[in-house]
Amino acid sequence: MNQPRILIFACKWCGFIGADAAGKKRTSLPSQFRIIPVECASLVETDAILRALAGGIDGIAVLGCHIGGCRYNNANHTAIKRLELLQDLLDTTGIGRSRLLLSFGTAHEDYQFEEIIKNFFDELILLPPLDPWLSPFGVIS
Amino acid sequence: MANISVFLCKCFGEIDNTVDFDFLRKELSKNPSIVLISTVDSLCLETDIEKTVSRIKESNSEKVLIAACSILSRGNLVVESLIKEGIERHKIGLVDIREGCAWIHGDDPAGVTKKAKDLINIGIAALQHKELSDDMSVTVHPNALIIGAGPAGLAAAISLAKTRFKVNILERSKAPGGMLRLISRCYPGNEDASNKLEPYIREVENNPLITFYPQSKIASIEGDTGNFTVHFSSQEKDSSIKSGVIIIATGAKIFFPTGLYGYGEIKNVITQMEFERQILNGSLETKKPVFIQCVGARDKKRPYCSTICCPISLKNASRIAEDVPGASVFILHRGIMTPGNTLEKYYRDTLASGVQFIRFEEEHPPRIIGSDHVESVEVYDAITGITRKIETDLVVLSTPLVPNNDNAQLAKMMDIEVDRYGFFSEIYPMHPLETKTDGIFICGSARWPVSSDNSILQGKAAAMKAVSYLRQSKITASTLSRVPGLKAGHARVVTESCTGCGNCVAACPFNACHLEKMEGRYISVVNMMKCKACGSCVSVCPNGSVQIPEHNYRMVGEMIKMAF
Ligand code: SF4
Ligand code: SF4
Ligand code: SF4
Repeated sequence: MNQPRILIFACKWCGFIGADAAGKKRTSLPSQFRIIPVECASLVETDAILRALAGGIDGIAVLGCHIGGCRYNNANHTAIKRLELLQDLLDTTGIGRSRLLLSFGTAHEDYQFEEIIKNFFDELILLPPLDPWLSPFGVIS
Repeated sequence: MANISVFLCKCFGEIDNTVDFDFLRKELSKNPSIVLISTVDSLCLETDIEKTVSRIKESNSEKVLIAACSILSRGNLVVESLIKEGIERHKIGLVDIREGCAWIHGDDPAGVTKKAKDLINIGIAALQHKELSDDMSVTVHPNALIIGAGPAGLAAAISLAKTRFKVNILERSKAPGGMLRLISRCYPGNEDASNKLEPYIREVENNPLITFYPQSKIASIEGDTGNFTVHFSSQEKDSSIKSGVIIIATGAKIFFPTGLYGYGEIKNVITQMEFERQILNGSLETKKPVFIQCVGARDKKRPYCSTICCPISLKNASRIAEDVPGASVFILHRGIMTPGNTLEKYYRDTLASGVQFIRFEEEHPPRIIGSDHVESVEVYDAITGITRKIETDLVVLSTPLVPNNDNAQLAKMMDIEVDRYGFFSEIYPMHPLETKTDGIFICGSARWPVSSDNSILQGKAAAMKAVSYLRQSKITASTLSRVPGLKAGHARVVTESCTGCGNCVAACPFNACHLEKMEGRYISVVNMMKCKACGSCVSVCPNGSVQIPEHNYRMVGEMIKMAF
């Protein structure tokens, strides 16, 4: 069966470090994920997530620092609120909140990153593939 | 689209044993903007860097993409070496195909090569669409403003003057010294407060670099890092000062325990501060004092420990025990807080001086017996479970320090924050003494209750942090980063499409955006000296009018397209 496709927005100061550490340890991971490092999770625009889902990417993960540990004066706090609203929106549109994984402060270590990604794959594999959707942006795939 | 040269690093087999480089070359050569694809054994070796640089210069490429290891491994070194060779930072892209690809997907030969290809394409998309933020710099006024002339402020002033910077001190009261003027001795050395203060006062009075403004009141503060203007009045006269940095050393105030333990009604129930005053004016007469700790502290309303009241009680209790013949001194406490080696010794010395300690619980506070004059104190000893009655002639209440009333107002003027109690907040835990606004520092009890020794220490530390700003003649906005290295950029507003909705203003955690009237409508303006490129504004703008050029929405969109 085809592996689901996952796009990860990883804060440079947390999730990205966890991902990097997993790499240094040569942890074996499914290959179908791509990381876009961001300065802060608050930089992840909701429409970037929607575009990615519209383009047929099966799951999006946003990895940021723990509350109180943001390098940008609690910018991650508002990011969480915003992205949780987006999860609600995904539920109401039928895409489902489970396609947007939020993890704040829980992916800083290699084993944490590994576990989060593997679990996310396991969850997404149960869902039907998200076909690219013809959108005003054009088909993204 | 700019011409790009791509360098694939083999890392001596670490990458190319897993990733099929021939396939990569074939795929990449389909992209017309790639003018050079070069494979290198190990990019981080000096010889290979040289080769790379000359190849870049020979090719007609404008930008360079390095596909090698992670930025947290040797990748950064490669990028920095290229920058040293004259290639601009924003024209270099780094893609990690080792830690993030070859090393973790070795058991999936098809997947690993496809991922490497995708990652490189993401990198190319990023490089093609990345823009460069604007920058600005500010001329630094090489002098410091210190608010508050207690031990913290005085120590900061003198340290700054030693480094030859001019200092202006604004003080609320008539004379410098702060709380040291109200007490007789300082713990833990039992030094006379006036002796401790004397050299500081002398220095402030005689040092030509230090100007002292008594009875001053701040009206407003404007400007940014390196260039603040403070409008204030001193002794009823209005004036303003320009200043490169501001150090807040406004201290804290004593909590008055009105209504607690009969304070205010029963005559010989006093606070620790009144005890000090009685020592100073020689009116203290007690043989059987009882000190009660944590009065108005470590409770529901103020769940913090003020840290100074336990040592103060030790100081005053042992003084009576040692100086007054036949004295019987009690400290009723909820756990004595004396961290560190000097304070622990202080506690042991107090024990040895004959002071008796009884521990009580929050639920069973001691009871004062007597109507207008206290006769005894009844306390339930939490350790033995016995209720004891202690004869006394004076009850001294140890109350915590609480924040000054005008902290929030002052913080607002400077765009900084106060904590949930009202003390000034620092950037915890990574940037002690620093506030949300670069160039504004906090020290002493304005930040959190501390002893005079610690106030002095923090004052000096704040001064040294301030010097790092003052010694620059110009401060460039992009260097005001809170993370290692330079800032990631600055937010930029597209004036044409901004509707002035103010979402960005509300979301910015650094108060860097504000609305300004322009041609009859409001638009958002970003202050680059404050912006830290967190991107909060970008995410809340309803029409994409604010962007971080280094991470703009077009770039992210193209990166997503290339992801699989
Ligand atoms: S220092 Fe002592 S008296 Fe003061 S709040 Fe802390 S425990 Fe209570
Ligand atoms: S929200 Fe962040 S990126 Fe936007 S102006 Fe404020 S500090 Fe800069
Ligand atoms: S959120 Fe966007 S439209 Fe609203 S004021 Fe800020 S830049 Fe302008």
